[in-house]
Amino acid sequence: MTPSTAASSGASAAPHANKITVRDLDFFYGDFQALTDITVGIKERGITAFIGPSGCGKSTFLRCFNRMNDLIPSAKVGGTILIDDEDIYAVGVDPVDLRRRVGMIFQQPNPFPMSIYDNVAFGPRLHGVTKKAGLDEVVQRSLERANLWKEVKDILPRGGLTLSGGQQQRLCIARVLAVEPDIMLMDEPCSAIDPTSVQKIEDLMDELKDRITIIIVTHNMQQAARVSDETAFFLQERTGEPAELVEFGRTADIFTSPKDRRTEDYITGRFG
Amino acid sequence: MREGFRKELKDLKAEVVGIGRSVIEVTKLATRALVDGDVDIAAEVIAGDDDLDTRCLGIEEHSLEIIATQFPVARDLRLLHSLAYISMHFERMGDLAVNISKAARRTANRRGPQTLYDLIQAQGNLVHRVLEAMLEALEKKDLELAHRLQALDEPIDHLFKQFFRELARLQDEEDIEWASSMVLASRYLERIADHAVDIGERITYMVTGEFEQVGEDTPEANT
Repeated sequence: MTPSTAASSGASAAPHANKITVRDLDFFYGDFQALTDITVGIKERGITAFIGPSGCGKSTFLRCFNRMNDLIPSAKVGGTILIDDEDIYAVGVDPVDLRRRVGMIFQQPNPFPMSIYDNVAFGPRLHGVTKKAGLDEVVQRSLERANLWKEVKDILPRGGLTLSGGQQQRLCIARVLAVEPDIMLMDEPCSAIDPTSVQKIEDLMDELKDRITIIIVTHNMQQAARVSDETAFFLQERTGEPAELVEFGRTADIFTSPKDRRTEDYITGRFG
Repeated sequence: MREGFRKELKDLKAEVVGIGRSVIEVTKLATRALVDGDVDIAAEVIAGDDDLDTRCLGIEEHSLEIIATQFPVARDLRLLHSLAYISMHFERMGDLAVNISKAARRTANRRGPQTLYDLIQAQGNLVHRVLEAMLEALEKKDLELAHRLQALDEPIDHLFKQFFRELARLQDEEDIEWASSMVLASRYLERIADHAVDIGERITYMVTGEFEQVGEDTPEANT
């Protein structure tokens, strides 16, 4: 089913306005179809939120954008996902290079068991930056952009895991930023951290969105309403059936006058 | 938790409808005070206005509390916002009823031509009809009725114009002083109905999420 929105037709109407263009996407775990017939255009820069009840396929969809689902043997993707007009599932696309361009932040902060400095320098080293001066510069710039530099500049050799939960999450963001991605996927990035840290991460997202396209999966609808420019609502109507994209549009419209009754019922807490 | 929230919304709407009922009542009383030259009724309307204002302010405060604590969205948000907006209209309609009552006090010591009393009474009856329809549209979320308010309002404007024409026939200076208060009262009645038409637009938004401007003559524009 086509979601009730004008934006969903963005793919065909204005292909170059979109950073990510998804056409007729189906996703399977073995025999089970998890997502069906998703067509959507994600605008360049700005923040898009994916909302919906648990198990509605939001995270699965998110993981399609950096081919994280490739790591599941039975997973199968149908349809097309274009990033900058390039089919990311085409033969010859290097998933490792794709994941540099499309960074990911998870629910639980997952710093590597190494120093703060090495956490941030990890990606650049992997991509060939070896000189100390160059690495120092990338580490500082990335930590600054993640609004963490002031808090850690004197303790860079200390283990990343010694930081607080909120700091660890910003360290992970700095680690992603260090390889200069153009897209950042955030899978419930704030659900395991305290409210002050949540605010810092949301402020950070707001600063980053001028340069990076951000997609956030969140169960917190207030957060979706606060931070995102556009919102997509996913729903699996019946157990065993695939989830679909019900509605996609400007966040302000979705949260004041949603077009689809199912979106309205979900966001007003009438189910889910 | 969410059930309590829904009950709160329902109660708030019931309170707004209750205020609307009071507005209809004071408009009726003010018209009667004017037509019958009854200063006691006029005083009653004027004295009751503080209470009406307090109830309207209560709606605004309560809506803000719910918005701050419950994060309402979509139809719940539209309902809350609309109720606050509608109660603001009710407060102004109450003020206009007070103005009519003051005009009644000024004109009570003199009896003018019966034609003009008849016109005011006819206008009052039509305003009453618009207000009843508005309140029913609000209570039942009746879009069709909300849309009809503009049409129901039109004859009221015509009567106001007719009132002016009748006024032009007056010769006596005292009559003219008396009539100027009456024409103001007629104007206030007409504006009360305009507020009801605006509330109709708000009801449409509350139900559909779409803003529809049905007429250009808003009460604000007429001020």
